[in-house]
Amino acid sequence: MIRLVLGVLLRLGPRRFRENYGDEVVGVAEERIRAAAERGAGSAVKAIVKEVVGLGLASIRAHRTLANGSAPPGGLGILAGNLGRDLRHAARSVRRQPGHAVTTIVVLALGIGATTAIFSAANSYFFRPLPFTDPDRLVSLWETNPEFGWTDAEAAPANLLDWRERVSAFEDVAGYRTIGLRTTWIHEGEPILLEASQVTGNFFDVLGVRLAAGRAFTWEETWGDAPPVVIVSHGFWTTHLGGREEAIGSTLELDGTAYRVVGVTPRDFAFPMGGIDYWVPYGWARSSRIETWFRRAHFVRPIARLAPGTTLAGADAEFQSVVTALQTEYPETNRVMGAGMGSMRSFLIGDARTPMLLLQGAVGLLLLLACVNVTNLTLLRAASRSREVSVRRALGAGHGRIAGGLITESLVVATAGGVLGLFLGIAGVRGIEGLAPLGIPGATEVALDLRVLALTATLTISCGIVFGLVPSLWARRLGLADALRSGGRSGSETQGGWIRTLVGAELAVAVVLVLAAGLMIRTSLELRSVHPGFDPSDVVAYQVTLPSSRYEVRDDVLATWDDLLERLEATPGVTSAGTVALLPLSGTSWSSQFQAEGWPPDRAGLDILHRRADAGYFEALDIPLVRGRLFGPADSPNGPLVVVINETFARDYFPHSDPIGQRIAYDRVATEDSFWYEIVGIVGDQQQVSPGAPARPEVFEYRNQDWGRTAWVVVETGADVGATSITMRAVLDEIDPLIPIEATTTLRDVRSASIAREEMVLLLLSVFAAIALLLAAVGIYGVTAEMTARRRREMGIRLALGADGGRLIRLVLREGAVPIAAGLAIGAVVALIASRALEGLLFGVSPQDPATLIGVCAALGVLALAAAWIPAWRSTRVDPVASLRADT
Amino acid sequence: MADREPPTHLSFHILLALAADDLHGYGILKEIEAKSGGRISPSTGAMYLALQRMEAAGLVEPSPDRPRPGEDARRKYYRLTPGGRALASAEAHRLAELISLARERDLLPGHGA
Repeated sequence: MIRLVLGVLLRLGPRRFRENYGDEVVGVAEERIRAAAERGAGSAVKAIVKEVVGLGLASIRAHRTLANGSAPPGGLGILAGNLGRDLRHAARSVRRQPGHAVTTIVVLALGIGATTAIFSAANSYFFRPLPFTDPDRLVSLWETNPEFGWTDAEAAPANLLDWRERVSAFEDVAGYRTIGLRTTWIHEGEPILLEASQVTGNFFDVLGVRLAAGRAFTWEETWGDAPPVVIVSHGFWTTHLGGREEAIGSTLELDGTAYRVVGVTPRDFAFPMGGIDYWVPYGWARSSRIETWFRRAHFVRPIARLAPGTTLAGADAEFQSVVTALQTEYPETNRVMGAGMGSMRSFLIGDARTPMLLLQGAVGLLLLLACVNVTNLTLLRAASRSREVSVRRALGAGHGRIAGGLITESLVVATAGGVLGLFLGIAGVRGIEGLAPLGIPGATEVALDLRVLALTATLTISCGIVFGLVPSLWARRLGLADALRSGGRSGSETQGGWIRTLVGAELAVAVVLVLAAGLMIRTSLELRSVHPGFDPSDVVAYQVTLPSSRYEVRDDVLATWDDLLERLEATPGVTSAGTVALLPLSGTSWSSQFQAEGWPPDRAGLDILHRRADAGYFEALDIPLVRGRLFGPADSPNGPLVVVINETFARDYFPHSDPIGQRIAYDRVATEDSFWYEIVGIVGDQQQVSPGAPARPEVFEYRNQDWGRTAWVVVETGADVGATSITMRAVLDEIDPLIPIEATTTLRDVRSASIAREEMVLLLLSVFAAIALLLAAVGIYGVTAEMTARRRREMGIRLALGADGGRLIRLVLREGAVPIAAGLAIGAVVALIASRALEGLLFGVSPQDPATLIGVCAALGVLALAAAWIPAWRSTRVDPVASLRADT
Repeated sequence: MADREPPTHLSFHILLALAADDLHGYGILKEIEAKSGGRISPSTGAMYLALQRMEAAGLVEPSPDRPRPGEDARRKYYRLTPGGRALASAEAHRLAELISLARERDLLPGHGA
């Protein structure tokens, strides 16, 4: 791209300079830009500007060097000779009518800026290589199970190990944990919460990541009998270990175990997610390999590196044959367990694909709109300038000179627009980077894409330049005498037709974008109006982990939770407090099959969710108890196991009987040896994943029976978050100052976060729609202003003869209404088809929702008429005498 | 050699760069940047324009041989002509005279002050 620009600039210079030095100049300039790009986007931009401007000036100055010499300046070189004069002329012309220049600059900047930002983001998601060695050979693997509705589940470790050993098309298979493992590190007397990722020993080798210091894990270190080792992140190394080489080999005491630090990851490494402090091998017991749970529990995300020379299809074929073999070998766990594979990149992009493609489409439309608009503005300007051109020609200016002047003027405006667009693009990229919901955690980062910038800038700017030539073409086509006589008016019939068509097109594009934004606004409103099944007001939640080094046995853990909740509830202002393993609307933790007592062996519930909670959780979030009871003091840790179920569970699995008192076990075929839980209560549904997804059947286990060291402590209180957090810390300090608070949130924030992606798409689409509206309004205003200006004389006569201003306005509006109506109609049809792309993101509103479409068309129609009305009204306010005198 | 006018600022830097070694265009740019601590960093276009003028004035010429084996053979290397070397030397003397004058007038600390 840059090569093209430099090539064009070389053409400005004399041929000899180009022939002798052209290739070298382009080569060296490219090399310097590349070198600058390695220092960052800022340096790259600076280098590009320097090289482009420098070569432009040099090409022009080269004429002077050769002026007394041999070769006459050729090509566009003529421009250069008169550059100074042309620039002065352009400046005068811009000053005379600054409105046109400013509008064009703004339109160009918006078009270039928005397009660059979005396409840069898309580029880094879809096309930039993952930051691993030979990333095209990396594939993600997953397990599927039609009975459970699993489409891309994590793998059971025993299956992963078999794939690794039996599929020869895989050079190696590694596994990692997608949820960070929280540990507490007591450093200089302070509890520091660390986030770790568990991996298999070959994790770094499979990714092909070269560590910044030390060594990668070995495969043998996957197992629990190897000495405990960790690899720390670059950030952890510099912050806590002084960034010294000697830190390699030192030990870290984490939750009571001494780990030896063997390596440091590269600075940018952030996989499987950002914010990981250290990586640690799973440390599985070798004996697990033959145990059933090792093939039943699915908690490892596998990645494989394809062996050299294998294709994706070939590898998949061999993979499937191994998966089938495992189904027969281990029917108890694998009978219906399938598996799949795909490129790691598309797996990681996952859900972000739809909104990203959608935004690309939208921004493409915006770019189109900007181009149309620039064309339109330039044509309008051309129309009013054909008289000037004719006069200059009559005075003896050649076509080349006139074209040179016009191009210079367009270039000046276009350059200003391009520079402003560049800054908007940079700001936009920064903004998108801050929008987490579209990111692939840790895998790629968004950076300004210079190729995209160059492309969009070239596109829009060339619109300006090409159409900047139109006046001279018209002047050439038109007889000189005719043009002078008509005062530039006679060519206007064809021009007017073109301009009106373009206005219609602008409006049509605007309809599509505004409809998309409108549908997203409706979606957002619908999502916000859905009752999530709990009352998010006045609830603050704290994620707390009791360090296993200090709370080793169950009774200590349970007593600490009880103590904490008691103290909290005794605090003034606190209505209730409780614990839950996972907050609602934040995803799901684990799921299982189940059988109720007395069910025949072939009947089973397939995919029920599990969550650990206590009575305080339901009370703090005002979740209604539908029937039965909540957990209570009678449910002792060693007593009969009890659970509470949600309404959907009751409805789906006990439609005709009373679930209260029934006993269930989490096995496909339950036996007397299974753990049996008695259902003691039914509570209202809480949405688990998003307001757009219906609640799934869920079982709540009791915190005192199915116990754990990590929980969200929910506090319903009249106080604000700040005051509550101070209370919370004070209460924890009374119990044990070394218990860290890992995270703080309010339930309101949890609720907003659950629709963050929809809101982000809404935000960006709204920005585009606003730009589209602005561009369309500018276009319509400009056209009407030009039309009325051209008819000022006629209007003056009519006014002088006593015509009524209102009728004149209607006359102008009637003319403007035709392209407006046509644009709206075409836009509506296109929008109805295009809005299907939104389908997956919409909630509670159909893509063809008539109310939204009518609303959007009506709003745009009103806006368009308003944009036309202003210049029409202004034309009736002028003094008739002045307007008669003006154009003679 | 056509003229004995003092070389321009950039031309003098190019002469200085080539006085040490035969270089290709990118090498000249890197040498100028390195020797000036990055303060002088002409655009590629400006440098080649100066090079063109200097070639026309007979101060530099394309160098037929590659100074270091293994370097990119496609690149054009430049070297000083005897005239170019003489001009660089004359300019250096001129500057040296100016500097000693500046020292006499106490404008520069050090040796002469």
